[in-house]
Amino acid sequence: MITRRWGMVIDLDKCTGCGTCEVSCMQENNMPIFQDDSDDPKRVKLLNLMKITNDREKSLQYGDVKVAYIPKMCQQCDNPSCVAVCPANATDIGDDGVVSQIWSRCFGCRYCIGSCPYEARVFNWWKPRYEGTFKESLNPDVSISSRGTVVKCTFCSHIWKRERDKAVAKGITDINAVSYTPACAASCPTNAIIFGDLSDPLSDVSRLSKDKRAFRLVHTVDNWGVSKKKNLIKKYPEPKVFYLSSEEWIRDMMRFK
Amino acid sequence: MAQLVLQELYHPERIDFPLKRVGKKGSSKFEAVSFDEVLKDIATKIDNLRKDGKANKIAAISASHTILSNMLLDRFLMSLGSLNSYVEPSIDTLTNAAVNLTQGINGSISYDFENSDFILSFGARLLEGWGETSTIHRAFANWKRRGVKLFQIDSLCTRTASIADKWIPIKPGTESIFALGIAYHLIKMGKRSKGVNFGDWSQVIINQYTPERVSTITGVASEVISNIAKEFASAKKPLAVSGKGAMGVSSSVAEIVAVQSLNSLMNNLGKKGGVFVKTCPGLGKPKLDSIASAAIQNVKPAKGVDDFIKNFENIEILFINGANPVHRSVYGKLLAKKMKKIPMVVSIMPLINDTANYSDYILPSLTCLEMTTVIGDEAVSTRNKSMHPGDIILKIAKGIEGVSNSFPWSSYKDVIKLASNVEIKPVIDFSFTTKLFKSHLTEVSKRINTTSSKYPLILLPYELSTVGDGNGLAFPYVLKGIDAKILTGDTLWVDMNPVTAKKHGVSEGSCIDIISEKGKIGCVKIHLTKTVATDVIAVPLGFGHTSYTKYGSCKGINPKEIMSDSIDPISGIADWWFTRIKIS
Repeated sequence: MITRRWGMVIDLDKCTGCGTCEVSCMQENNMPIFQDDSDDPKRVKLLNLMKITNDREKSLQYGDVKVAYIPKMCQQCDNPSCVAVCPANATDIGDDGVVSQIWSRCFGCRYCIGSCPYEARVFNWWKPRYEGTFKESLNPDVSISSRGTVVKCTFCSHIWKRERDKAVAKGITDINAVSYTPACAASCPTNAIIFGDLSDPLSDVSRLSKDKRAFRLVHTVDNWGVSKKKNLIKKYPEPKVFYLSSEEWIRDMMRFK
Repeated sequence: MAQLVLQELYHPERIDFPLKRVGKKGSSKFEAVSFDEVLKDIATKIDNLRKDGKANKIAAISASHTILSNMLLDRFLMSLGSLNSYVEPSIDTLTNAAVNLTQGINGSISYDFENSDFILSFGARLLEGWGETSTIHRAFANWKRRGVKLFQIDSLCTRTASIADKWIPIKPGTESIFALGIAYHLIKMGKRSKGVNFGDWSQVIINQYTPERVSTITGVASEVISNIAKEFASAKKPLAVSGKGAMGVSSSVAEIVAVQSLNSLMNNLGKKGGVFVKTCPGLGKPKLDSIASAAIQNVKPAKGVDDFIKNFENIEILFINGANPVHRSVYGKLLAKKMKKIPMVVSIMPLINDTANYSDYILPSLTCLEMTTVIGDEAVSTRNKSMHPGDIILKIAKGIEGVSNSFPWSSYKDVIKLASNVEIKPVIDFSFTTKLFKSHLTEVSKRINTTSSKYPLILLPYELSTVGDGNGLAFPYVLKGIDAKILTGDTLWVDMNPVTAKKHGVSEGSCIDIISEKGKIGCVKIHLTKTVATDVIAVPLGFGHTSYTKYGSCKGINPKEIMSDSIDPISGIADWWFTRIKIS
């Protein structure tokens, strides 16, 4: 029985926007390589490092404005709307709380893209290509998607599978004895991305997810009282990616306030 | 960025074997040849030059990251009889000239970020690729925990400025004046330095760099300056950091010395949390034979790489070691023109870049995962016929009479320990140079004078961490991550304040050409944002390669083509930060 509930906390105060998470995610998950990837519609990537700024604020002038970065990937909802609409069982939520996506089951109806409140899913409009010797850099643990399918972040669940296999080979059969780190969290040079078990009250992620700087993307219900939430909404997404920021404008902007 | 090494290692355009030019120079036509053939040809050519007494017509430009091979190349050239070995500008090469001038030793500045408690950065975009990124990122992760304050003085709203505890927006190009304005307050507060010539220097500061003048030139209110000076003075371990920019840095020696004088005033030279001097004894001086010592006599090498590019004549052999001065130097176009006339240009690098395109020979070198380093053995075995640049130099050296004795090593691996022997020295001595600052104030105010109607705007550079000053653009995963408001297809976007746009009759998405005294670049699109000051256009560096794999070529424009090219008289490196421009 899995007791793990994987979650992530991203401290935006520590994020310098260096792009390491984005590049390591692409490398780990075999993102396609096109000659002109600077062309926006062609881009397929699971983690999007978004630059944000409060320069649209009328009261602010040069000198007061700020810029920040938000790494955005699948928010791994507890009640994922994408799972509810998928007619092919290509996406499902596992016992560990990770929303999976099986490339080969997807037939490209894109209902999930429409239903995702975070725009965290991308569609392969073109056949993914890996030119020449780039093929040798592919990660053998991640299958290559085909044209006309939807892909998304799976919290690098293939790494967990690999770690579990390793543990079994050593004779450890308790699934909860194994932990892992996704590529983005492992590569972040300032430790801004922290990954761990939300069901463990002592873990860094559970502690930080309750921090007063914490917020979730476009998740306005977080500001409601418990009873209002219960009465009005039976199922809200409950994403398991938390962001931390001491900047009021970032929290407001990301909650669509 | 370390995450890009896999793409470099497996890049489909990596050179498989040595290449020889077959078409015209710059036409990208090469054919495969064998290593032995090339090395023999180079050795013969060098031998002939030495016999003709033209040993000092051999030159080399190395990239700043090629430490070991740069040392070997330096030694190689010297033992041949040439002092023309240069390194592309980096924070180390820039501060080297300043350390030489003020502290009298050959080394570069090393800031102790880990232990400082107040960092005052003069345009150094510390979190965007500046210096040794891993060290700074590690220190930064601790700054928040330790309550370290970071004050960023910058003329653009960069991420470092936003993340800092305080951002002081300043008029572009006035960082040195700001530093001396703070020095004024520190002296008034009774701070004294034991440095040589401090008395004379402080007189100049007190008389010339008065709060009113500094405030007018920098555009920062007098109270703000005095408050920063107070905070700086009251910190336990304050640190003033110079070197404007990120991976591409540009500061005059005067500016670095001005900032360094604040550290001297706070007595933090050579102290924990302060400033140290990084030196590397390297491989020592080679023994010169009669030809070499004759060639070196009475020869004055250029002061820095830009000085060299601008002034060299009749160079017979030019080695390019991983560098890309054609793209990165403001004299890039001139260099490309001059390279066409050099009889032999030898480039050593894994991917063909803008500079290698003008070579006669391109020799494939290893990427970092294939190299043995001081930390341990290589991560993967060598692909193709690539060789470590150090091994290439050793092989050439061994084929030349009178030189081989200076290279007793059989492989680059024997040199690793010697080359990585970096010493961080606590150097307390500091001498103030009054001469640098007597007319500095008038020079700067003349340069930044905004009343000039011919070129009413200012071009300021910024960088994306993944692209840096150009190296990252060969990698598709970098292109994939670039914001659509920076690069769309092949078109580059530049940032402009809405007020400036209104004044010049342009709007979001307008296509413009940017014109300076040096020339014109275009076309770029305008993105309106209040993250830049009025009358400023912020242009990203690192784009506009003419030839840098099919991924990185012809994407956007290279602002270095039109950036100012005044060469610093002490460091010999162009100070390109501040350029007056107009748009059409």
